[in-house]
This record gives sequence, C-alpha cells and structure tokens, in this order.
Amino acid sequence: MRALLVIVALGFSMAIMVSVPAGIVANQQATQNLTANFNKTVSNMQEEINKTLTLIECRLSSGSTQEMSPSGPMRPPGSGTESYMNESILTDFQSTEGVKDIVPILQKSEGTNETVERFGRTFTFLRPDYTIIGVPLNSSLINSYSILPTNITDGRNLQGGDSGVVLLSENNTAYFGVGVGEKVTIRGVEFTVVGIHSSSDFMENRNLYMNISDAQAISNLTGKISRIEVYTESSDVVDEVASRLSLLYPELSITTYKDRLKQLQSMQSMYTETLSSAQSTVDQTQAIATQEIGIAVVATCLITLFVMLYTVRERTREIGTLKAIGFSGWNVMSQFMAEGIVISFAAGLVGILIGIIGAPILSGFLLPHINLFGGSPQSSFRLGRQTTNVGSATVASAAPNLQIMLLALGLAVLLGALGSLYPAWRASRTRPAEAMRYE
Amino acid sequence: MSEIVLKTENVFKIFAMSKRKIPALVGVNLQVNKGEFAAIMGPSGSGKTTLLNVLGCLDKPTSGRVILDGVDVSKLPEKELYKIRRNKIGFVFQTFNLLPYLSAVENVELPMECTRRSKSERRKRARELLAIVGLSGREEHRPQRLSAGEQQRVSIARSLANDPAIILADEPTGNLDTQNKYEIVRLLASLNIKQKTTIVMVTHDSHVASHTERMLFLRDGKIVNEKQGLHLAKKKLSCPYCGNKIQPNEEKCSACGKALLNTEEVSI
Repeated sequence: MRALLVIVALGFSMAIMVSVPAGIVANQQATQNLTANFNKTVSNMQEEINKTLTLIECRLSSGSTQEMSPSGPMRPPGSGTESYMNESILTDFQSTEGVKDIVPILQKSEGTNETVERFGRTFTFLRPDYTIIGVPLNSSLINSYSILPTNITDGRNLQGGDSGVVLLSENNTAYFGVGVGEKVTIRGVEFTVVGIHSSSDFMENRNLYMNISDAQAISNLTGKISRIEVYTESSDVVDEVASRLSLLYPELSITTYKDRLKQLQSMQSMYTETLSSAQSTVDQTQAIATQEIGIAVVATCLITLFVMLYTVRERTREIGTLKAIGFSGWNVMSQFMAEGIVISFAAGLVGILIGIIGAPILSGFLLPHINLFGGSPQSSFRLGRQTTNVGSATVASAAPNLQIMLLALGLAVLLGALGSLYPAWRASRTRPAEAMRYE
Repeated sequence: MSEIVLKTENVFKIFAMSKRKIPALVGVNLQVNKGEFAAIMGPSGSGKTTLLNVLGCLDKPTSGRVILDGVDVSKLPEKELYKIRRNKIGFVFQTFNLLPYLSAVENVELPMECTRRSKSERRKRARELLAIVGLSGREEHRPQRLSAGEQQRVSIARSLANDPAIILADEPTGNLDTQNKYEIVRLLASLNIKQKTTIVMVTHDSHVASHTERMLFLRDGKIVNEKQGLHLAKKKLSCPYCGNKIQPNEEKCSACGKALLNTEEVSI
C-alpha cells in the first residue's frame, strides 16, 4: 500500500521528466513549422511582388458616385465598390504614355439586403451570396498577369477565348449545388462549370469568374466596368504613370502596388520579429525546463532516499533476521537496491502513463506559453488576388515520444539505484545483534 | 567421549553505554557435545540472550574464545561470519521472525537462497522440512494465516535448512500458550532424538527446560550451576500405552506396535 503511494508520488515526479521534454520538442517543432511556413510565405510574397510590381489599380472613388448620408445605405466592408464606369475610358487609358496593358474588370454581387439597426440608425448591408467577376479572357493577358485564381481544386481554369463557361468557387458550388461539367443558371442564363477554385478568404471564396462580355450581358451592364488594372511598361515608371492618371482622372481612386510593397515589407519584418521572439521564448522555455527537470531529478532521488531509509529503519528486525540466517551484507544490500530500483521502475512506468495522458496539460502548466500573432491561430494576407496562409501558429500537442519515454525509464532506474544506495548500504552494515534488539 | 560442537573459553562481553560499562558476560565457560539438547536458564538480565548472540556469531565477545565446530569464531571478520551463520548455525527466535510477505515454504527456503543449491532442490528440501515439523499442506500459507505455534514450526524448519551443526533457540516458547509451548519443545526434543540435532535453548521456563538433557544456570553473566535435565522425551523409557520398556531412539513400541514418535505420547 505504501509502496503504491510512493510509486504514484514518484510517478508525478517522473511525469514531469517525461512531459517537459515532450513540451520542448513540441515547441521546437512548432517553431520549425512556423519558420518553414514563414519562409514559404515570404517567397510567395516575393513572387506576387514581381508579378504585380507594375500594377496600378483604378476604380471610381466611392465618394464621387455615392453620397454618404447618415441614414443612407452603406456597403458591407470588402464587397467592393459596385459603381461602374464606361468602357470608352479604356481607349484613353491605352494611349497614356508608359501603359503597356489594361485589364478591365466587372464585379457584380448578388445577395440579400440586410437591415441592421444600430446607434438609432438603420443600415442596409448587402450580404453577398456570390459575386460575378468578369475578366477579359485574352490569352496573353491571362498568361502575363495574375488575373485569375491560381488554386484550382477541380476541373480546369478559364482559358483565353472561353465564353459561356464559368469558374466557380467552392462556396459557389455549395450555393448552386453543381459540380464540374454541369450547367448552372446565373441571372437567368445557363453556363457550363469548367472548374472550381478555392480560397480561405471569405470574399474570394464567393467569387465566380467568367468572360467580361458574358458578365456584362447577364448583369445588364453592357459597356460598363467596375475597375481597371493598368500594367505599366516597367516598375520604374509606375509612380509616374499613376500620377499622370490621377491628374487625368481625378474622380478615380488610383492605387499602386508599390504601396503594397511597403506594407509587405513591414509585414515581413513583423513576421521576422515574431519568429525571433518565438525562438527566444523557446530558448527561455528550455532554460526553465532544464531547471524543472533538475528539480524533478533531485526530488526523485530524495524521495527514493527517504522512503528507502524509512523502509530500512522499519525493517531493521527483518534485516537482523536475514543476517542471522546467513545473508551476507552484500546479499542484504542487493535486496534493498533491487527493491528501490523496482519501485522507481514502477514509478517510471506510472510517470510515463501520467505523461501520456497529461503531457499537454503538464507541459502547458510547467512551461511558458508561446504566443504567436497575439493568440490568433491563423494569419493570412491578401495581395492582388492571391491569398496566402501563414500557417498554423498553435503549439503542437506535447505527446511524449518513445525515445523520451525510454530515456525517462532509464533515468528512473538510475535515480532509484542512486537513491537507495545509501539506505541499502546502511542496511548491509546493520549489526544483527543490535537489529534483533530493535523494536 | 563425544565430539564437542561448541565450546567457550572465558568469554567476556562488556557493553559500553556512553561512559558506563555494563558487563553482560563475565567469564563464561561451557561446552556442548554433538547431539546434546541443552538449556540455558536464568533470570532476566542474567545475560542469556547476550550469550546466545555471542554463540551464534551475531555479536563478538569482548574477550575470550568461542569455538564452533572446530573454528574459533570470536576472531573472524564479518565477511567470514555470515558463512558460519549460514552453514553452521540455525536460529529460532522468540518472535519467530518470519518474513510476512513470504509463504511458509519460501521462508524455509530463505537460508538456502545464497547457497549453490538449485531452485527445485531448495523447494524440495523446504517441503521435506515442513513435513518434518508437521506442516505438510500448509506450504503456501503466509505467516499471518498460521497460528503462533505453526509459525514457530516454520521457523524451526527454517533453522534446519542448511543442516547446521547447532540450533540456537532464544526463548522459542516465550510467545506461545501452554498447549503450543509443549508442542514446540517436544518437536525440538524429537528432532534431537531422531535427527541427532544439537540444540542449545535459552529459556526461563523450568517446565520447558526440564525436557532437555542438561540445564546451565546463568546468573550475572556467569554459569553458576549445572543440572541434569529430565529429557522427558528420552529418559522416561516406558510406553504410554502398554507400559513396556522402550529404547530412547525407538519409533515404535516393540510390544504394542504403537508409534512413539510424537513426544506428546511418551509420558513420564
């Protein structure tokens, strides 16, 4: 019974030795995964930058077409400006100096209007079911610039010259209830689904892509466009062209991706900072863990020592008897050593059991938490049309691996032997006559 | 002249309690022959247990010699003494001193643990010994399931395990009721008769001591008197059933054919 209690007590001590290293390993793995994700993200960013460095985005500034009145309708954030300009503007754009290509885009959201009352005012939101994105399906444009989504999960992407076909998002397929190769009716017109794209971005996952002329036709917006993407001849002239365009068309809001580049760089440095702080936390954690393991080791040793000393004291008569009937000092010593080792071995097993069950809790309790991105488990950023995930930053569960378990078991036996060395030696030196007198 | 198994020459044992010196044995001379059943008697504090400890190599005398089976054990170091204790001496204790977590047969095997005998040999020998002390069928019982008398029988079987030259029994009947007391002393007597085991028993009970051949009286650390014991099991040589004369070592009465082995049956 006492042995059982001792085994459980030692077991907890052992559990610390099992789960703390497990926690460290998990933290290290998490940091490694994170680093890998970051590096991937950064290189994706670079690729995106290279593709969109020459991009200037032009759209009607919302203020120019829309009066913002306290009770007036407000647009849901991110649904895009649904105000349109005439296609005729494009010819002027094309002739502007420094412009290489222009990509007109039509965007039309379909959904239900939701009215929300807040602060005593009535706001009307459009909750989009899907958004039609009309793009020019021109092979050279598609190949040169990132106009279409890249993450195709089924079927094919749109191609130059496609008409009467549509590329749905995963959300769209659920909404319309159709798959690749099937027909879907959008605003009363039938289209064939050629492919499905997916995105973790909320809005992007509601976008369906088709030829701009099809989009104009079904939206009753013939000759209208939502925004223009202007690609300059080189990245050096982007600023120049942008300022020229803004002079020519003051009603347009003009964005260059050079601004985004700055954003991107600051994001990059933020990521690097986060990473280095995570690394330093891991280092700190390791220092704390070393201390904790050290304490656990000493505790295990001391527990074994005292328990065995107590046992030896309690069993003095038994030791006397054993010596009287012919056990040598060495026999007695090995007897008690074996007992100490068996107890600590059992404790090691119990500790591993506790470790397996409680490692995540224990290591969470014993180690400082690694908090990345202020606790938000996922982070993504959007650049152009691409959404990139910065991977999961949650710390992996700290399950002890076989190596740690075996190591802990070996350590248990070693500590048990160490702790029972002195008591066993004392037992072996007991003088039988005195031991027999002992009550 | 029979062979001397145990002999002491002027044995002194003085305990040093801080500054005070307490003499426990002051010049003990005794001699035990092979096959003898001797009792050491004396009042409390006379040094009985100390003497027995010295005889059993559990304690070293302050001076004097203890010669056991031809070896002077008083000068041997501890690393030699345990071999003497293992091979030449069998201990029977007042409090039995069985290991509570071992079964009867395992307890009997214990002294053979450190010998060269194989596991099965040891088990066989232990079973035989338990049969001799009348505990066949109780081999697997643990001490707590045995009565005090039965525990002492196990302890006696254990003392016989390595065929010792001498059995040293320290108040073997001290913790037993009257019934068990006589059973145990008769068992010792019958071992002495049948197996020719040399036994030295410490007791302060004259009834128990009367079963032995020789009684040594110890007082204040000295042997002051020596008496012939009755050795009830041996000396009263008449069959309790028919009154026929019998020989000391006979197992059966030659006249009526009844078993005389149980010393209980042999009346005065």
